This record gives sequence, structure tokens and C-alpha cells, in this order.
Amino acid sequence: MIEGLSEAQTAGLEVIAAIAERPVDELERRHEMVADLGIDSPKALRLLLDLEDRLDIEISDEAAARMDTVGDVLDQLAGVG
Amino acid sequence: MTERSVRRHAAPELAPDATLPDLIERAAAQFPERGIAIFDGRGRRSERRTYREIADAARRSAGRWAALGLEPGERVLIALPTSWSFLDAWLGAMLRGALPVAVAPGAAMGAAQAHLDKIEALTERLGARFVLARDSFRADAAADGTRRSAEVALRADELEGTAPAQFAAPTPAPDDIAFLQLTSGSTGVPRGVMIPHRAALHNSLANDRAIGVPHGAPTSAWADSMVSWLPLHHDMGLIGCLFLSLYAGHDLWLFQPSTFLARPRLWLEHLGHHGRAFAPAPNFGYQLCLERLDAQADLEGLDLSSWSDAMTGAEMVRPETVAGFCERFGPHGFRPEAFRPCYGLAEGTLAVTFDLRGRGLRTRPLPAGATATLGSEGFGLSEVACVGEPIDDTTVEIVGPGGRRLDDSAIGEVWVRGPSVFAGYWNDPEATAEGLEDGWLRTGDLGFLAGGELYLTGRTKDVLILRGHNLMPHEIEWQAEAVTGGGGAQRSGAFSIARGADGEEAVLVVEAVDRDPETLATMAAEIRSRVGRTLSITLADVAFVRRGRIPKTTSGKVQRRQLRHQYLAGTLDILPLGRAGER
Repeated sequence: MIEGLSEAQTAGLEVIAAIAERPVDELERRHEMVADLGIDSPKALRLLLDLEDRLDIEISDEAAARMDTVGDVLDQLAGVG
Repeated sequence: MTERSVRRHAAPELAPDATLPDLIERAAAQFPERGIAIFDGRGRRSERRTYREIADAARRSAGRWAALGLEPGERVLIALPTSWSFLDAWLGAMLRGALPVAVAPGAAMGAAQAHLDKIEALTERLGARFVLARDSFRADAAADGTRRSAEVALRADELEGTAPAQFAAPTPAPDDIAFLQLTSGSTGVPRGVMIPHRAALHNSLANDRAIGVPHGAPTSAWADSMVSWLPLHHDMGLIGCLFLSLYAGHDLWLFQPSTFLARPRLWLEHLGHHGRAFAPAPNFGYQLCLERLDAQADLEGLDLSSWSDAMTGAEMVRPETVAGFCERFGPHGFRPEAFRPCYGLAEGTLAVTFDLRGRGLRTRPLPAGATATLGSEGFGLSEVACVGEPIDDTTVEIVGPGGRRLDDSAIGEVWVRGPSVFAGYWNDPEATAEGLEDGWLRTGDLGFLAGGELYLTGRTKDVLILRGHNLMPHEIEWQAEAVTGGGGAQRSGAFSIARGADGEEAVLVVEAVDRDPETLATMAAEIRSRVGRTLSITLADVAFVRRGRIPKTTSGKVQRRQLRHQYLAGTLDILPLGRAGER
């Protein structure tokens, strides 16, 4: 269970959980997208599109390439909202 | 003359000795306002060019290739995603008289070892003069020690930054080879299928006419657009979409395959936005729409009433998928008759047979006594999909052991003869001799003819031989998917492994959503029981992996041989089973 999240980060976590098909409270910051959550490249794109749609933001390809862990995604969403 | 009237009065026929360069020039002259739009990776923005602009860019690219020293007849590997860089380079190399060879681009981030190995092997096998690849390819290949491909690697910006040179445009003959298509060979390194200009044009024309039969006129007379996510390194994308559009003169909307996998709804949305439209996909594409668009919110606002034809081919047409798709999308305007099963392969350029009746999917029971392992139970297994009649000027025969021509309803190997048949495998006389016999293409596919139409029952190279009985992997997979996913939500792969002196035994790998060991154990038991009941075989192993772990081609087909390899090598991440299992 990850604590102290903003509204945008909570929404982001829900998006990750839905795509990884895992309950939200099982996710941890250190979880790696591919190795731990099975989010391979088609799913990674889905994650990106879902995040952008849900939060009405644009994530650059460079930023997307750095999203290796759950923590990376949450950091990316830190300034949103 | 308005654009509309140009389209209603079908464009002039191509001369009998026309070649691909003529096709491009004709599109530029006859349909100057129509064109192709390519979407970005997110599927949100597209860049559109007219056929006139495309022809201009292709000519410039040919000059660039010439400036780089590319000579007619030389092979160029093009490993780029769907993009203008791909199209310009492919068409340009062809106009230069060289042989473009489109290959899957590999992952965007981090070069996978398998991709580097494949490109290196292809560079070697085809003696490629250049490998046009992603920006990082040269560095990745050099770091990996795959030297040959690193030496001939070229980036799109290098090609596009080269000043075009003047060159004498070659004037190919119809029987000259225009390009190579790749097809997976038994050794793992793809083979180069040689496609003459004549075959490329014949197949494009035949597709135009075949699709048009139920409409009373070829697509060139009525279609406004085609919407596709099929990669251009796939024959269904290159011939079935690009060449057909160039010939028929409708608009082509191209999505990245990855965008479709992430957002299948985009494909459907666009099919409703661009006038009278049609689109092809393998069975898997329709299945993905079914799996991913199931909530009311996913379906809201979809209007598929202008989708005239939904071609389904390139893999086994599964009756449940077709039925499920019609049921789900019928309320959104999709007409069941729009489904047009077809059959083809790279060695046939693309299409071999096409449903010409336009009445939707039709099936027949598997002929009596076809295989002793098939029980009557289990919908979908005893019913075989009709994939239609041979395209123009093409003959299909069913051949039994020893080259004996078989009668209607007898299952044998599908042999094809006609102007679209390939000219052999590049630099591989042995494989060519196996695949081509007196002008007949031996497809390696199994099927039967009935009423002049082909019914495909499977592929010989994937066949499992269990205690003397032949079984196709999908027969096992469909049974398993019926258990795990309520109509096939999860993908699976079946293959056989050696079983000492006794021959082979069957293994099934299933992608599972649920990872609870007890649930999986129960599911394994159910699958074993169902497969045993319906197919009279005992599975040696039922292994579960997480979703996405079964290797698939970029067009989504399960790579059974690779799966088998991973299984045997112990590199599949198999999920543990609870006590109800027997593992």
C-alpha cells in the first residue's frame, strides 16, 4: 500500500493496477513494469494512453521511456492536478 | 472533372506488361487527391500525403538510394515501423530497381537479442547491401558484435539527408523480381520469397475485383477508404492494403500495430469516419476487439454501419470469434455479411482464395472420417470455415500423398497455380524445389474443396502427430480457451514434444489472468478433461504463464515453435499450480 498520494497519483495507480490486473493495494513503488507487473510494450502504450486520457495530460516519449517502475510513474505525476 | 466522377468512372486498366513503377505513376495521375494518412504512435494525429506526393517522394528516395551506391538487383532490408520513412525508402529502393525486403522493426527501446540475431542472419542470407533501421540499431548491433549488419546499417535521417542523384530509371519486365517478402522457415531464419512485378499487380487487381463481387463492382468503383493497423512488413499490410489502395485509388488510413493492440477501439472508430470503408485483419484482431471492448462504455458511440467488408485471413478463421464479433458489434451497425473470409500466404503474393458470396461466414462439418481423433462434441472444431473461391486466373487443388489429386471433401495439401505464385526463395534452390513443383505452389496448408470453395483445416508444419493421429494445435487451443476464458478470452499455444520411442506427446501453454495456484489447478484439470473428452488425447502437460508471455508475431499469431523452444529450454516463467494439479 502506497501512502500520501495526490489525487492524480491515486488515479495513476488505479490505471496501472487495471492494466497489470492486480489490486491497487498490492502495488509497490519498487515494482518494475515489465518484470514484476508483466506490462510489456503493447501494455505500456496502453498505460500511457490511459494515463493521458484519464488525467488530461501529455507525457513525452522521453518521459515515457523513463517509466520503469511504479515509483517512476508516480514521480511523473507528482506535479499534475 | 470532380474527384467523385473520376472514381465512379473506373481508372484505366493497367497495360498487360505493367510493373510496380507503373502502378505508382498511375495512382499519382489518376487519383491525385486521394492518399495515405499515417498515424503517430498514440493514434491521435496523422500525417496525410496524396498519391501524387507519395510518387514524388518515392522518386526522390530512388535518387537518394542511387547516390548512396545502391545498384539494381541489390537487396535492402527495411526494418522501420509504419512511417513515411518506411514508405519512401521501400518505394524508392524498388524504383531504383533494387529489391526492398521489409522486416519487423523490433522494439523501440533496447534492442532485443533475437531481433539483432535475426537481422544479422538475414543480412548474411540475402547479402543485403543496406539495413535501414531505427536510430539505435547501428550502435546496438556494433555493441552486440553482429558486425555484418552494423557495417551496412543506415538511419532514415542519413538516407533522407542524402542529395538525390540522377540515375537511369530501370524498366523492369513483368517477370523481373520486384521485392522479397519474408516467410518463417523451418530453421528459424526467414526466407526471402521472390515476388515478380507481374504477381504483385495480379494480386492487387484480383483483390480489388474479389472484394467487389458481392457489391456488383470492384472496390475502385465505390470504396472511399481502407483502415488498417497491419504492419507493412506483413503481406496483408503491404499487398492487401498498400498495393490495393494504390491500384483502387481510395484513401488508406494506417495505424501502428502497437496502437491497435493498446487501443483496438481506434480502428473501429475510424472505420466509421471515412465513408464507405473496408478493412482486413487476422482472426486475432477481431478477437482482441471482443476481449477488450466489452463494457457499455467501450462501445458507446461506435457506428460501424459504413464498414462494408471485414476481411478475415492470415490465420485460421475461428467461427466463435466471428459469431461473437457479430453479436457484440451488430447493435452498433456491423453487418454479419461484412465478414469476408479469405486465405493466402506470402508465396502466393497474398490472396489465394476469397469469399465471393458476401453472406458472412459459412462453415461445413469436417468430412466424415477425416481424423479419428476428432469427436463430434465441441463447437468450432467439427465446423470448418469456408475461405472462398480461387481468385482470378488461379487454380486450387487438393493433393494427397504421392501427388495424387483428391476429390471433393477429401483433406489434403492445398496446391495453387496462377499468376500470383512466387518465383522461388532467394538463393535457396532446395527450398524452392520443395515449395514449387511444375509451377504449382505447395502451400503446406491442409484443407478440402467443396462446391468449388476451399475449407482450411490447418497447417502441415504445425501438425501434432499423436499415436499415429494428426491433430492441429488450434484444435487443442480452442478447447482450452473454451474452458479458461468463456469463449476464448485467453490465448494458448499447443505443440508436441518427443516422447522417447513412442513418438510425440502434446503440451499446452495457457496465458492466465488468475494466478491463484488452486484456481489454476482446477482449470488445468478442466482443460485436461475437456481435451480428453473431445479429442481423445491426454495432454502431457498444461502449463500456465502470465498474460503476454506466449511469444507472438507482430500481427499477433502465436509462435508455436518458439513457445516450444522456450518450454523445452526452461525459460518460460511457468506459474505454480495447487494440489488439484498433477504437475
